[in-house]
Amino acid sequence: MDLSFLVYFFGKGLEISAPIGYAAIGGVFSERGGVVNIALEGIMQVTALTLVWGAITFHSAWIGLIVAMISGMLMGLLHAVVTVTFKVDHVVSGVAINVFSIGISRFLSQNMFGAEANSALNPYLFPTWLGINCLAFIMIGVVVVAWFVLKKTVFGLRLRSCGENPEAADTLGINVTLMRYAGVLISGALCGIASATLFPSKWTQGMVAGRGFIALAAVIFGRWTPTGAVLASLLFGYADTFRIVFEQKIPIPPQFVQMFPYILAVVVLAGLVGRSRAPAWDGRNYEKGED
Amino acid sequence: MQSRRPRFRSYVVLAQAAPFIGFIASMLVLLAIVVLVREEPLKALIAIYNFALSSGARIGSVVSVSIPYYLAGLSIAIAFRAGVFNIGNEGQYFIGGLTGAMAGIYLPLPPALHIPVVVLAAMAGGALWAAIPAVLKAARGIHEVITTIMFNNIALALVNYLVNGPLSGLKAGQSLEAQTTKILPSAQFHKLNGFFRSIGWNVPDYVYLDYSLVVAVVAGLVIWIFLFRTRQGFEVRAVGTSTDVSRYSGIKVNRTQVGAFLLSGAIAGLIGLQEIFAIRGFYTYDIASGLGFDGIAISLIASNHPGGVAFSSLLFGFLKQAGYGLQLSTRVPYSATYAIQGLMILFIVAINAVMARAVRALRKREVA
Repeated sequence: MDLSFLVYFFGKGLEISAPIGYAAIGGVFSERGGVVNIALEGIMQVTALTLVWGAITFHSAWIGLIVAMISGMLMGLLHAVVTVTFKVDHVVSGVAINVFSIGISRFLSQNMFGAEANSALNPYLFPTWLGINCLAFIMIGVVVVAWFVLKKTVFGLRLRSCGENPEAADTLGINVTLMRYAGVLISGALCGIASATLFPSKWTQGMVAGRGFIALAAVIFGRWTPTGAVLASLLFGYADTFRIVFEQKIPIPPQFVQMFPYILAVVVLAGLVGRSRAPAWDGRNYEKGED
Repeated sequence: MQSRRPRFRSYVVLAQAAPFIGFIASMLVLLAIVVLVREEPLKALIAIYNFALSSGARIGSVVSVSIPYYLAGLSIAIAFRAGVFNIGNEGQYFIGGLTGAMAGIYLPLPPALHIPVVVLAAMAGGALWAAIPAVLKAARGIHEVITTIMFNNIALALVNYLVNGPLSGLKAGQSLEAQTTKILPSAQFHKLNGFFRSIGWNVPDYVYLDYSLVVAVVAGLVIWIFLFRTRQGFEVRAVGTSTDVSRYSGIKVNRTQVGAFLLSGAIAGLIGLQEIFAIRGFYTYDIASGLGFDGIAISLIASNHPGGVAFSSLLFGFLKQAGYGLQLSTRVPYSATYAIQGLMILFIVAINAVMARAVRALRKREVA
């Protein structure tokens, strides 16, 4: 184990953790506002495609990122309209959006690139530091900003109050609907960044591969805080990195190594955290003037 | 007072209209997609009709593909009734199919005994895979959505390992997809097409209307009787309506939810039977995936009712065949069908919520 290997391992782990981490921060914003967002997976599926399309069309990875964030917010808007305005069960809406996104991403890919299962090659990549996508390092800054916004700003306080006690928030003149929309839209935008930290040279169907769901586990494990969620993502990410790096060297079947991050997630949820407390109104709709 | 009863009935109609409105709305979106890819809407409709509805054979195919949909929807419905969100029936049917196939391959039994044993083995496998998330939910309060998603991924890796390794039925040099050895003839699901032809439904032999249809019908009846005609079923529905009220009235909420979760897993174990025992004749990890998530949609559209699930699963079977028809004879890709399915769920649940609120408001006004 020499130094360059260690640097590689830590960098690679950060890169693999980044999509989970960004999506998990998004999940925190959505859920602290009181909207459960299990559509993270589907939103990433779509933003991963629009990212590649934007980058190729406008000849810039950064414009691709903006396109991805906007399309993520549009998907989030769909979730917000269904859950906040129409007051549908949040998990149901999330499941529906996940189904929808499989179809819509393949349909769009067919129309944009002429193939359903994968896009054209995207030559416009993000700059790398030490061979690692720079967005992975930027995540550390984003966590600090997310923590600051949630804990130290008026907006963050209002958002959290809508997740804890929307009735009280409403009484104090906070627009619960607006706040909840904001939380979900932020999570959509962060899903856009999350998909940009996936290998972005090509979109393939199924490239998100359950990371959105792992991010949900990270949100719970991280006790609904940005810092905690990202630390949990790092745990899952490094578990996965360990698998990738040592897959050939361990004498157990690769399928068992593949299970490792998922088993870890279950064990972690079952054993270490016990009952972590969700925001009191997380996943519950708020109806004005209801008795 | 006199006008109250008919008014009440109109509320019921209003509340039940959501699936139809949602279906029509999503069909309009489908036609919009047809126009978007520059096709004639009429040509698309004819393609759908020709492929899905034009003959006894076509309708038989719709029924055939609806069988796994029905079992998937039924599995979700029973869990939903108890307030449990079983996203894990994906993994449960992969494991249930595997245990069923094991019983079909390695137990030499007479056919009259073998088929029921295979069905029970599949149910046991599905229930087993639901057990850990169920217990974790009851004992530690961990949300089942997270654990079952993890268990889906674990199940996929596990069956991949087993089919490639210890249970592989491929001889050296065979370059087929990984699969188990063949299921014994005594456990194979035979077709009932001859019976249907004898009662006047002309289904040709290539359509799979096999024992799994009987399994689905029996499962549906049993679940319906359980939910609406037994005390335990009542408790399940009570828990799903309000855990607090149930707890105060002495129902053991945790135990009821675990029971419903296991039952849901057991039904999920049946989803793969048609493909494994009637169509392929062996087990592979390549059996149709995604039916678990389809089941959620199917159950929701039917308000989690075993009878309604029959209609919504036929609707999904129809959509599937319609999607193939469109892909074959128009420029509409099959992926459009997925998008439509997702939209249809959103439409139906949103319209449902709006209707429910409207009905509530109307009732309130009437009382006041």
